[in-house]
Formats: sequence, C-alpha cells, structure tokens
Amino acid sequence: MLGFVIQRLLQAALVMVAMSALVFAGVYAIGNPIDVLISPDATQDIRAEAIRRLGLDLPLWQQYLAFLGRLLRGDFGTSFVFGMPVLDLILSRLPATLELALAAVLIGTLVGVPLGVYAGYRPDSPVARAIMAVSVLGFSVPTFWVGLILILTFAVNLDWLPAGDRGPTVEVFGIGWSFLTLEGLSFLLLPALNLSLFKLAMMIRLSRAGTREAMLTDTVKFARAAGLKDRTILRRHVLRLISIPIVTVFGLELGSTLAFAVVTETIFSWPGVGKLIIDSITSLDRPVMVAYLVLVAFLFVTINLVVDLSYALLDPRLRRHGAAA
Amino acid sequence: MTAPLLEVTDLRTHFLTRAGVAKAVDGVSFSLAPGEILGLVGESGSGKSVTGFSLIGLVDPPGRIVGGSICFAGRDLVGLPPEEMRALRGRRIAMVFQDPQATLNPVLTIGQQMALALQAHAWVSDRAAAERAAAMLTRVGIPEAASRLSNYPHEFSGGMRQRVAIAMALLNGPELIVADEPTTALDVSIQAQILAEMKALARESGTALIWISHDLATVSSLADRVLVMYAGRIVESGPVGEVLRAPRHPYTRGLLDSLPAMAEPGQRLRQIPGTAPSLLALPPGCPFAPRCPRADAACAAPPPPRVESDGRLFLCHHPLEAAA
Repeated sequence: MLGFVIQRLLQAALVMVAMSALVFAGVYAIGNPIDVLISPDATQDIRAEAIRRLGLDLPLWQQYLAFLGRLLRGDFGTSFVFGMPVLDLILSRLPATLELALAAVLIGTLVGVPLGVYAGYRPDSPVARAIMAVSVLGFSVPTFWVGLILILTFAVNLDWLPAGDRGPTVEVFGIGWSFLTLEGLSFLLLPALNLSLFKLAMMIRLSRAGTREAMLTDTVKFARAAGLKDRTILRRHVLRLISIPIVTVFGLELGSTLAFAVVTETIFSWPGVGKLIIDSITSLDRPVMVAYLVLVAFLFVTINLVVDLSYALLDPRLRRHGAAA
Repeated sequence: MTAPLLEVTDLRTHFLTRAGVAKAVDGVSFSLAPGEILGLVGESGSGKSVTGFSLIGLVDPPGRIVGGSICFAGRDLVGLPPEEMRALRGRRIAMVFQDPQATLNPVLTIGQQMALALQAHAWVSDRAAAERAAAMLTRVGIPEAASRLSNYPHEFSGGMRQRVAIAMALLNGPELIVADEPTTALDVSIQAQILAEMKALARESGTALIWISHDLATVSSLADRVLVMYAGRIVESGPVGEVLRAPRHPYTRGLLDSLPAMAEPGQRLRQIPGTAPSLLALPPGCPFAPRCPRADAACAAPPPPRVESDGRLFLCHHPLEAAA
C-alpha cells in the first residue's frame, strides 16, 4: 500500500512538472509579455531595462527554471489588475467555488445514484422511464438556459430564493463559507442545482448501467437464493459493486466543476474563481491565468490521487496484502 | 413410506423468446422424500438447471413457469406471492451454485455475507450472526473459522470458497438444498472431498438434496435416486444402482458409455452422436430418436410411452432389456 502511494505521488509530481511547462510555454513564452507590461511609448532604454529585470534576455530553459523556482516558493506574481499577490486573490475566491462545486456534485450523486439504481433495477417500469427522460434533459439542455429559468421561476416569479450573489458567509479558519447558515444556503441552492443537473444525469446513467449489469450476476442470484430482500440486495450488494465507477466520475466531475463553473458563476454572479479567470482573460491578467491553471492542475492531480486511494478501500482485491489460503 | 417433502407434478418452464417458445422444462414430475438425495443428470441444455431454479422461484425472464405444480411441505410454490417465496428461499430451500468465484460478492467479507443470509430471515444481532457463521464454517471444514470471517472471497481457494457457499446454504437449516453442479468448477481431488462432505452433512442434518450434474459418475457415488433429463423431460429415473447397472433408456446407456471409466485404455471415448435438439422445435415423437441407435419409424410419431414399474420409469418405444 505504501509503495502504491509513493508511486502515485511521484506520478502526480511528474504531471505537475509537465503542466507547469505547458502553462509556461502557453502564457510566458508565446507572445511578448513586454508589450503588455510596458506602454508602447516607452523609450528603448526602459524596454531593455524591463526585459533584463524580467529575465526575458535569458535562454528559455533558464527562464523556465526561474519560473518553476518562484512557483515552488509559492510566488505566483502580482495581479496587474488588482495589484495584489495572485495567490491571495485566488485563495479568496476559491472557497466560494469549492463550496458550489461540492454542493453540485453531492446533489448530483446523492439524488442521481438512488434514481439510477432504481432505473436499473426495474428498467421497464414507468418510473424508470421518467427517470431516464430526466437524465436525457439533464444532458441536452444547456446550463445557461436552465440557470436563467431557475432564476425566473424561483427568484423572480415565486420570490423564494435570491437571484444571485453569495449572501452572508460565516468565517471558519479565516475563510468565509455560505453553507453554515440557512440564509447562506438559500443563496447556494439555485446555482448548485443548476450545476448539478448535468452530474445528476451522468450519475443516473452510470448507476443504471452498473445496476443492470450487477442484477444479472450470479452474486445477486445467489443473494436472492439466500432469501435476501431486493432492497437489501440493492443496498448492500449492488451499491458496493457499482461504487468504483461512481467514485471515479465523482472525482472527475468535482475537478472539472471546480475549474469550469464559469457559466453558472457568471449567471448567478457567484464570486468564485471561474468568474475571476474570465475577468483576467479579458484584461490579459497573465499572472492570474498562470496561477489559476497551475492550481487547477494541482486540484485535478490531488482529486485523482484520492480517488485512486479510495479504490483500495472499495475493492479489497486491490489491496496488496493477504494470500489465498 | 413417509409423505414426500417435495412433489413436482407436470412442471413446465418455458422461455418466451423472440424466436419462439423454448420448452426448457416440459412436463417434469418427480417426488422427493425428506432427507433423500436425488441426482438430476443431463447434458447442457437438457433443462436440469432450469428445473432447479424453478424450484426456488428464480427463473430469469423471459423464462416462466407456465404449468404444473411444485408441492413443497404441503404448499404449492407455483403462484406463491413473491414475498412468501422469498421468505422460503434460504430458510427452507437453499441453493448452491456452480461457480463460487462468481456467486460470492468480491467486495463484502464472508462474515458480512453470511450475516446477511441469517438476517434476511430473522432478527439476529451481528455478534450472534458471526458466532453462527463461524460454527457453520467449522462444520464444513474450514479451519480457524472465526478469524476467517473478516476475509474476502478472493482470500480463499476455489474449494474453500465453495465450502463457504455450502455453509451459507446450510446456515438456516433448510429442509432441501438444490445444488447446481457445485463441484464442476473445482479440481478433481477437491470434488471428491466436497462430494463426501456434502453427503455427510446432508445425512447428519436430515436435509434433502437435489444434486444437479452432467456427470453420472459424481451422482452415482452420492445419490439415492437418479433422474435423467433430456430435452426438458425426464427420460429415465430410478434407484441409482439399478439405473446405472441396467439402464432401460438408450440415452442413459449412451451417457454411461461415454464415461471415461467405461472405456478400454487406449480406445477413444464413446460419445453419443449428434447434438441435443433445439428446444424451440422439438420433434413430435421421441426427442432422442435422431441420435438413437435403436430408433425406427415408430419413434418419429407419437411420444414414447411412459413405462413405470418397481420404482423405475422410462420413456421409450424400444427400451433396453431389463437385467436378468
């Protein structure tokens, strides 16, 4: 087990190095940052001075190593637009997105998996057909449209929930969270629902397929022959058998939602990182873009690592100990 | 003679497929006394497994019991409400499957799975369940049973896994165990062990046993009586010694001749020519006729007569001579 963890950590480190090289190439080496940083009417001397100060006269690999060195020290540079350290800027926005993404993926999973398991258990029932229709909608209706409809229905017409913004937060460990108060939750609910729709559809399909397959196995037949109730079989046997793909998709979805909740955050004016990155792209705020991409890669790598480790918890055959008697 | 534990009358289990109706079990009748061991023998596709699954009410769709009755301890199981059937399964009728690799859940411990089997029928605390499970594992010959409850199926060998499955079947003290080729997936040496232990366990607990197998040799060492199935019907039945010594149906003869033990060393094994007929289109006469060395024009038309005497039964126009 320890060897497995070390191996995965090394792989994760490699991915991070590769990612940093890509980001470096994409944002620093292509195009000329000097054109952005210095006003066009600056003198030649000022330009040369700036190029030397920024190390742009050095060979590419030296520039990259310097970039890597700064990253390792946690120095992502300073935002051109906000004039504050980029890391602080992103970390001030990240909890909002983290909270939103986690809420969305949790809703999608906790609602989607039971629905999907039922749809796989009774594939021909009208209820199962209705569930599958919902999942088709979840896949095909665009997120921005659903977001607008949600606002129109629950915020404008019914006036039950706020239309946007984050509302009050409670500070825990110096970070503000919405989900700790009812009012905060009311702000979180609509954007989370909007984001969760696609994940709901995915979880339904995934658990339905897994359940249908599991119901045909001898394991389920044997459990039936032992007189287990179908409910027990679904809860204790089937759910465990289909958990690995579900956890995998949970991790992937969490990662991609953290990185790309842009549309929903924009519609609901949710002050998360998605909105920050769009703003920084339009204002060419390079340090923010770089730091964001590196952080996203880091989040993905971390989530995947956790998912891989959870496999061993879910499937005893992947634990490398014990021998057959 | 005591009242039979199980009385199957004219059981018909058909599969309603797109290609037509496959008559997997077509008019099977037999009875079983308490504690009796019955061998059910036939080729693949003869309907022996479907008969077994019919008994515990677990025929997969599109299969359905379309006729007949299964009278178990005075109650007809055909048409029993699903919940009553479920309550019966595992408690009074248990089943052991062919491949223990596939039947045990790989992600639950043996102890968890055995506890589920106990708790399906009565409120049993986890602790009591573990004690009963360990006691049963010890009975089926698993050493250090208590410590092995926390093991997963893949930590057992094939033979040990099947013992676990057998222990699960015995857990609630059933009156009948249906064993569907439980030794087929095992090594020959393990087969013999399991066979002997199964017989001993059935005898000491007074459990009736239906042993489904394609292997006459296995059945001969285990069963009291044997049923030979072909194309969804029982073509011959009787006490195991008599049937094996003097089969009356040519199909039984063919099965016996194809046993490796019957062949002269160095000779090719004798086999029954041809293949089993499609269950979708059974001939009007004897389904075995196209493969039968004794068949003539008479076999093509009316179904073979049912001849019953001295506890023997066979369906044949041209039976083999009875032993002198």
